[in-house]
Amino acid sequence: MAAERLHTGTEAPAATSARVGVQIDGVTKKFGAFTALHEAWLKIEQGSFMTLLGPSGCGKTTLLNLLAGFLEANGGEIFVDGQLMTETPPYAREIGVVFQNYALFPHMSVEKNVGYGLAARGVPKREIASRVADMLALVKLSDFGHRKPKELSGGQQQRVALARALVIRPKLLLLDEPFSALDKNLRGAMQVEIKEIQRSLGVTTIFVTHDQSEALSMSDRIAVMSAGRIRQVGTPDEIYRRPTDRFVASFVGDVNVLPAKLERRLDDRASVMVGAVRVEVPAGTVDGLAPGAAVDLFVRPDALAIGEKGSGFPGTIAAHVYQGSHVDVLVDSPATTGGRLLVRVPGTQAPHRWPVGQAVGVTPTGDAVAFPPEAA
Amino acid sequence: MKTRPFLALFVSPAALAALALVGALAAILQYAFRAFVPGSMEPGGLTLANFEALLRPLYAGVFLQTVWICLITALVTLVVAYPLAYAIVRSRSVTLKSFLLITALTPMFLGEVVRTYSWIIVLGNSGFINSVLRGLGLIERPIQLMFTTTGVVIALVHVTLPIMTIMLAAALSHIDAAYEKAATSLGAGPVRVFLTVTLPLSMPGIVAGVTTAFAWTFSAFATPQMIGGGRVPMVSTLIYQLGFASFNFPFAAALSVTGLALTFAVLALAKAALSPLERMGAH
Amino acid sequence: MRRPLSHRLLGLAGKIAVGLVVAFILLPAVVVTMSAFNDKAIMNFPPTGFSTRWFARAFSYSDFSSGFRNGLIVTAFASTIALVVGTGFAFVLDRYEFRGKKAMEAILTSPLVIPHFTIGLGFLILAAQIHAARGFAVVVVTHVVLVLPFVMRSVYVSLRNLDARLELAAASLGARPGRTLFTITLPLLLPGLVSGWLFAAILSFNEFTASLFVTAQATQTLPVAMYNYVREYADPTLAALSVVYIVVTALLLTIANRFLGLGKVLNVEHGR
Repeated sequence: MAAERLHTGTEAPAATSARVGVQIDGVTKKFGAFTALHEAWLKIEQGSFMTLLGPSGCGKTTLLNLLAGFLEANGGEIFVDGQLMTETPPYAREIGVVFQNYALFPHMSVEKNVGYGLAARGVPKREIASRVADMLALVKLSDFGHRKPKELSGGQQQRVALARALVIRPKLLLLDEPFSALDKNLRGAMQVEIKEIQRSLGVTTIFVTHDQSEALSMSDRIAVMSAGRIRQVGTPDEIYRRPTDRFVASFVGDVNVLPAKLERRLDDRASVMVGAVRVEVPAGTVDGLAPGAAVDLFVRPDALAIGEKGSGFPGTIAAHVYQGSHVDVLVDSPATTGGRLLVRVPGTQAPHRWPVGQAVGVTPTGDAVAFPPEAA
Repeated sequence: MKTRPFLALFVSPAALAALALVGALAAILQYAFRAFVPGSMEPGGLTLANFEALLRPLYAGVFLQTVWICLITALVTLVVAYPLAYAIVRSRSVTLKSFLLITALTPMFLGEVVRTYSWIIVLGNSGFINSVLRGLGLIERPIQLMFTTTGVVIALVHVTLPIMTIMLAAALSHIDAAYEKAATSLGAGPVRVFLTVTLPLSMPGIVAGVTTAFAWTFSAFATPQMIGGGRVPMVSTLIYQLGFASFNFPFAAALSVTGLALTFAVLALAKAALSPLERMGAH
Repeated sequence: MRRPLSHRLLGLAGKIAVGLVVAFILLPAVVVTMSAFNDKAIMNFPPTGFSTRWFARAFSYSDFSSGFRNGLIVTAFASTIALVVGTGFAFVLDRYEFRGKKAMEAILTSPLVIPHFTIGLGFLILAAQIHAARGFAVVVVTHVVLVLPFVMRSVYVSLRNLDARLELAAASLGARPGRTLFTITLPLLLPGLVSGWLFAAILSFNEFTASLFVTAQATQTLPVAMYNYVREYADPTLAALSVVYIVVTALLLTIANRFLGLGKVLNVEHGR
């Protein structure tokens, strides 16, 4: 049934499309009565870095396990480099996996860990030694070959796990929340390092995370997931600035929600009114709504500016949260659902210009998106 | 991918072992309904005579005596094991904890013969207890402990102590010490804390421990045989005697079957008693 | 804040109670050790002189040496077979669902609650019925059934503690199930296998009741030989042997403890 669907779409079958690294066609996974993944469709360009982002239980890990072959789908097909993978056992998939806890074999040295996949393929010992050495050099662990995994730091363990997954020259690299076990300082450095290695080897990569800042900083494209469905696929900028889905808008980054009314639509733009303030939004997310319909306006804190009283939405400065490069200003305002707006002001002058208690006006200056109100 | 590697390969040997055990139990069951032919190892035709014989006062008495000894042993063991289990779980010193644990466990692996033999030296008329009491001038004549129910129960308590301790300790370790602290902070004295918090919460362990001690006592052979010396008959010694002194295997089988039924009845009873308790102490 | 006197007395009473229980547990071991070095042939107290001649007799008594040899044969076969059978079954128990799984588990763990004399009698009758000679095979099969629950539990606990992702990692690296089993699963299970085997060996070597039923003169194991000795002699030879037993068992348990840890043993609900 999945094969039928494959040829009814407008896209060519995966086998003929050389640029597609991974194609996921209507993949569904059920655990008993619970649908963990609901007809996922996704194409990933060869050599690109795709992130599956979502809260725990959204189905991202299920999708990863389906890709690796650890789980069996209830429907749909998975292609990697044009080859149908659905019936292939995990050991024949040529997919490298870096696990959340790295899953390094505790009874083997670093060298043995990295060489494990090559030994399983019957690669001659001398070639294993040289390829392992090359890979350890790439992850800067040349001197650690004889150590046992538990003698390494968290960051070093992660590099071993990466080396072990990459040395088999996989068609696809899967990263399952690889940074969650690292402390915050190390996380940023490892993100840069992994991204560089991935780019230099040009390996198609799927990265699973619940951390939106990791997703935004590392990905070529992001697929945001929730409740077993893929909500939106796009570049980090598209996901952040032009979410097409209410969940995506609220899950990725901070956001202010303001009740508004749809004023009119013109081609692909629409305008909404928040009180007397007019805000331009993309029309796609308010399709089918009549002028005058109630909508929720989503505005990022960095797409708002604080000005003199009388401009924009009325408000009173409630508090400042100093963040180093910017100041988060909390403004009490009747315009927002929660009664309080979050405004991100660059620089550190905000507390002086707008002391607590001062009446101000808040003006939208950047992208904003409107969605129909949540069904009660 | 639906394949389940090694399933058949790994299950088959276990299936053979299970088959052997089922075969042995079926053999007993079958013999229990066969007639005894004196002077022959081969059993006769089908009969219920073996079970009728069980009702005779002599054998029914042994059954009752066995159940009585099992009950007494299980309850005494509970009282003896509780403080030890409590000390193992709550002691703050790791060394003390390990010492108590190893002390409690080692006898379990020694085997019945070595342990029972040791008790003969302790309980005998010129053994440790009588020598010490006589040396202190407390008694004139030795107290008769060998060949008495008291002596058998003392040694049996020693046999069932390790498993009872383990089960009680397991149950106690699941009780958060904060409950006891909370009760104390509310003004309860140690006795009240024990009676109202610790004891009720450890009830599943108590029931499980008493049941197992009961089953183990029922299963004990060397202890009643060597310390009872034939004067404290239990089901196990009777079966051995029937089998190897009179070669009446059909009757021995009938006794075994009845004993097994009794064991399972006790276990089922304990399980039934335990389920409401477990609901009460649900973690 | 000082605790009231009554509380402190209670604490003291508790300590005394625990001390008495420990004394009760250790008493037979201490007494048997003293008795083993006594030079008199009758079991009396206190010992009147020091001698190691009972140890010499224990080691030279032919029934003991043949019992020891028979015991080693039975134990080696029974615990090793039980290890293979129990490991396989623990593996499928942990990984798979199949028809009859629950029933098989119930049957194979039932020796924990079935009296040993019942199992011994059962195998004795079964052997007679299928006209099997009362040789080592019957004794070994009986012991396998008796120690299997312990091996299964030990391996099962180790399997539960095994990170399943290690096996998935091996598979993703191209290892087929057989390679994963031999290079990842079994090496990581090794401590559980060793301790399971060791527990099985100790229990098998010391098993008495069922052995009494299924052994013959030619196959009698050490506990059976010891039991027969007590029925005939009353000298401290057996005390000497018991001391050896206690020392060796404690030593083996300490080794087993190294591999598995007593904390895990604590979680054992039933055990025999």
